[in-house]
Order: sequence, then C-alpha cells, then structure tokens
Amino acid sequence: MIQLDGICKSFGENEVLSSLDLSAKKGKMFVLLGSSGCGKTTTLSVIAGLTKEDKGDIYLDGERINDTPPHKRGIGFVFQNYALFPHLNVYENVEFGLKAGNKRSTRGGNKTEVKRALELVGLDGFENRNPMKLSGGEQQRVALARALATEPECILMDEPLSNLDAVVRERLRHEIAQLQRDIGLTSIYVTHDLVEAMALGDRIAVMNNGRIEEAGTPEKIFYKPENEFVARFIGMKNIFEGKIAALDEDNGVLQVSTGNFDLTTVFVPSSVGTRVKACVRPEEIILAKSDQNTNVRSARNEIAGRIVSISQNGPLMRVLVDVGGDEMSVDITRLAARDLGLNRGDRVLLTFKATSVYMIL
Amino acid sequence: MSLSFRISLSLIAGIFFGFIVVVLSCLLTATSFAEFAGEIRSPEIISAILLSLETSIAVVLLALLFGIPAAYILATKRFKGKNILDTLVDLPIVLPPLVCGLAILIAFGGDGIFNRFDVLFTVKGIILAQLFVASPFLIRSAKTAFESIDQDVMDAARTLGASEFYTFKKVSLPLAQGGIASGVVMTWARALGEFGATAMVAGCIPYRTETMTVGIYMHAMSGDISASIALSLILASFAFTTLIVFKYLGTIGDGNLETRGAAA
Repeated sequence: MIQLDGICKSFGENEVLSSLDLSAKKGKMFVLLGSSGCGKTTTLSVIAGLTKEDKGDIYLDGERINDTPPHKRGIGFVFQNYALFPHLNVYENVEFGLKAGNKRSTRGGNKTEVKRALELVGLDGFENRNPMKLSGGEQQRVALARALATEPECILMDEPLSNLDAVVRERLRHEIAQLQRDIGLTSIYVTHDLVEAMALGDRIAVMNNGRIEEAGTPEKIFYKPENEFVARFIGMKNIFEGKIAALDEDNGVLQVSTGNFDLTTVFVPSSVGTRVKACVRPEEIILAKSDQNTNVRSARNEIAGRIVSISQNGPLMRVLVDVGGDEMSVDITRLAARDLGLNRGDRVLLTFKATSVYMIL
Repeated sequence: MSLSFRISLSLIAGIFFGFIVVVLSCLLTATSFAEFAGEIRSPEIISAILLSLETSIAVVLLALLFGIPAAYILATKRFKGKNILDTLVDLPIVLPPLVCGLAILIAFGGDGIFNRFDVLFTVKGIILAQLFVASPFLIRSAKTAFESIDQDVMDAARTLGASEFYTFKKVSLPLAQGGIASGVVMTWARALGEFGATAMVAGCIPYRTETMTVGIYMHAMSGDISASIALSLILASFAFTTLIVFKYLGTIGDGNLETRGAAA
C-alpha cells in the first residue's frame, strides 16, 4: 500500500502539489487521472524518490520512506518515453536492475529471471536485439519487463501508452491490466485518457491543480461524481445550478428548480431552498419530436425545447436543445437521428428518469 | 545560385585554401628527406618529442581524473554559483596562454602561495601549464555529452536499484563516451601544441624542459632552422592524425548506439 499525507512541492514560485493525500491499496491498480500540468507526474516522481517533496509524508506498506533513496525504495517505474538504456541490448536492459540491486556475480545467474520477465511481456527471444530498433510498443514491453524483473513492491506507470498508436495502445492496455491482476502488483497508473482510466483502474483519483478532487471506483467517478470539476472533466455536459424546490419523501423524489425548468430527482435528505447543481447525462435522455408519442411512462422528467444544433460526437450524434434559456445536450445514435428526421429549430420533447438526474451538493 | 556568384565564391574559398596549402608546403620544400632524417636522429630532437608525448599524455590522464567529475557535476547538479563555475572552466580557452603561464609563475614562484611546490622549470611545470590551458576542452566536451543524456534514463536506473555511483558508472559514462573521447583528442592536441604557458612556467632548458613547440621556437631563433622544420613536420603529422581521428569520433560521436546496434 502506498500512502501520501499532505505532500507539498513547489518548483520556484510554481506550486505543483498542494497538500496532496493519496492512498493506493495493496495489489490494486490505482489510476491518477488529470490533464497535463496537474501534478500527476510529479506525484509519481515524489513516490519514487526522484523528486524531493517540500512537505508531507510518504508511506510504503506503513513504513515512512521519505528519507529512503530511490534505489532502496523497491518501487518500479515505467516512463512515458520508455527510458531504455540505449547502450545495452534487450537482455542487458532487463538484467540491469538485477545486477544493480545485488552485487552477486552474474555469470549466468540472472538468465532465468530475465527470461521469465521477457516471457511475461511476450518478448521471449528478443534478448539480443537493440532496443532502439524496436517499435514503440515493444520498447515499452522491454521497459515493463525491466521494471518487473526486480520484483518491486509496487510499480508506477507514467502515461506508458500515450506515445503509442491506437491499436497498439489498446492491446497493451489490455495486457497491462491482465498482468497487473495476475501478479497482484500494487500499481499507480497516471493518464489523461478517460477510457484508459476506466478500463484499468480499480480506483480512480481525478487530479487538478496539485490535489485530488475526488477518488473512487470507476463507476462512481464516471457516473456519480460528487465534484463539479470531476463531473466536467469526465465530460458531463448538462450541469444546471438550481435550488431544491420541493421534497417528496413518500414518492422518493425531490424537485430542483433551475429557474428555467424543474427537474425531478431521487430523494435525498435535504431542505428546501438549498443550492445544488443538478446533472443529467446526455446519453440517458430520450429525445422525441413534440408531435410524437414517447411512451416512456416511468420517466419523471419531461421538458420541451427547440433544437439549436446537431453535430457528430464520436460514434454518436449530439443534439443541443434550448430549454427555456438553458442548453441541454442529448446524445442519440445516428440511426435514431435519421429515423426522427431531426432538423435545427424542431420542437422536441426530452424525457428522462429521476434516476438519470443526480445532484452535486 | 547564379553562375557569377558561384564563381566568385569558389574563387574566394580557393584563395583561402590555396594560402593554407602553400604556406604549409613551404615546410616541406624547405628541407630534404636526408636533412629531416638526420635531424630526427639528434638526441635533442628525440628528447623533445618524447617529452612532449609524455607531458601531453600525462595531461590527458589528469584532465580525465579531474575533468570528468567536474563535467558531471556541471551537467547534472543544480547549485548556487554554477554559472560562475561554468564560465571559469571556459576562461583558460579564451585567455592568452602567456597570461595563464604568468599566473602559474607567480602562484608557484618565490612569494606565491604554492611556493613550497617545486614546479617552475621542471617537467611538473610543463604538465601543470598544459593542463591549465588544455583541460577545459575535455570538460566542455564531456559536459555536453552528460547533458545530452535523457534524465529519464538515469532516473530509470535509480528506480531499478542502482545507486548514484552505479548509475554514473554503468549509464552516464558509457553514454557519454563519444563526447569524452573527442574531448580527450582535443585536449591532447591542445597540450601537444601548447607553447606560451609552457615556456613561461618551465623555460627552455634543452633535454629537460624543451618540448617540441619550445624546441621549434628556440631552434628557429638561434638559426638552426632545419631542426625547427623537423619538429614542425612531426608536430604537423600528429595534428593531421588527430584531426582524422577527431573527424572519425565525430561521425560515431553520440551515434555510438547506432554502430553498436549494427554490430549486435
């Protein structure tokens, strides 16, 4: 388990980490998610001992390691640019940590360890290759094998896939996830990629301005973020400021009034008049033309609006709807968009369940 | 490029190259092979050649011993006054060697702070003077080589369990070897050709402190031009060889990985 307590780090005037707390469970994959410059890499660097923190404590399995030099921490590191030793072949790269760590004679002594590490990453037989002549994906596998060969207590990965093309990235991501689970290695994985974070993380922490905004399971972070920054970061589109207008505990719902329209959401104990932010996921809204029958009986929310724009959003279509002065984004499939025959200016009805609305208090 | 411009360019460049070739070949035409062969058998000439080789090689070894740590610190550490130190290293390159020589002369002379070291007018003095003038070339070149190593590569070594020293030995040094090698060649060439500081510190005592360059000056001034020419030709051939080696190192330089990769 890795734990950070109140880590502060400034480079000159620039405060990169401000009282950062973090806790990564043993044997699990902890993902640090954030945009560039938020302090993710510095966090890893501090954990590895490559950057000296100004304040705060670092614990590895309960032991304070602030003053342990990097080579004695037993923390593996995988770099974004692979950072292989260009003057050594693949075998020597993987063997490096074994030789550096223990001073025992290495006459054939490390052969099995190196072979096993290379087998783990699927590079058996690459021993004599020049790492600089390998593809990016292969280089990162070598780097992974090199880090794993030393059997570290935990491993830190700094955007290891971001320099790779999409196909290799996806394959290697899958393999890293598999490998991590098989070995049960405590891991901290840094990325700015939502999909990567979602696919890999047992827990995800979203970082911003040198601190963690919110940490939780991928489910929690992506579907029910409690923090507005996190909500916006994961691409939550419809965030409306409002006040709690009515509580109905018997029916398990409450009303939020944004001023322009009312939203019905699941009941939580609170009081009328409390200022909240209400979110509606764009993909959970059903869109119909006003003259069509929607047949969504369980939907508690029905809001009329007018289409402002229709645009491509990845594989989906994003429809921007004006609802009484606010704009609401709705994601629908291309097929649905064609069947409905949507045009700008069309009057439409948006329906969604109370459970599709949730509040950031 | 217009034709007339190309012709004028070639003409100007031609004059320059021609000048160099003509002047240098004067050294060859002013002597005969028999005369040259006779001169280089003279004990004084042989003594000067050996002394120059001995001192310049000693300088290279000392420059490695002191220069590599200096270069490594300048390249990798951050500390107060680093810029001053960095400039200081370059100073002997731009300072006239005579000035360096004079400074050593005063420092090690009768009232100097190092006067208990017996250096003036000795071989030690020659080495000191050459080291002073030539070692910056090694430091500069090695520093650039250390600086060009990716910090992540060195960090990777640390996280793999390598101490700072092990990382230096097994990662930094091998990766900087191209730069260090070209620094060695430059330093050696500079030491071999050193005259001003050497003459100032060690004087011109035949058989004792007469290096090749000092010998060339002494013999030319005393009218023994054929001895000067013999020494000059030998020095020139050393310089020419150095240049070729240097060009070769330049081509492999930082690309030593490529050549190694091709071999693997």
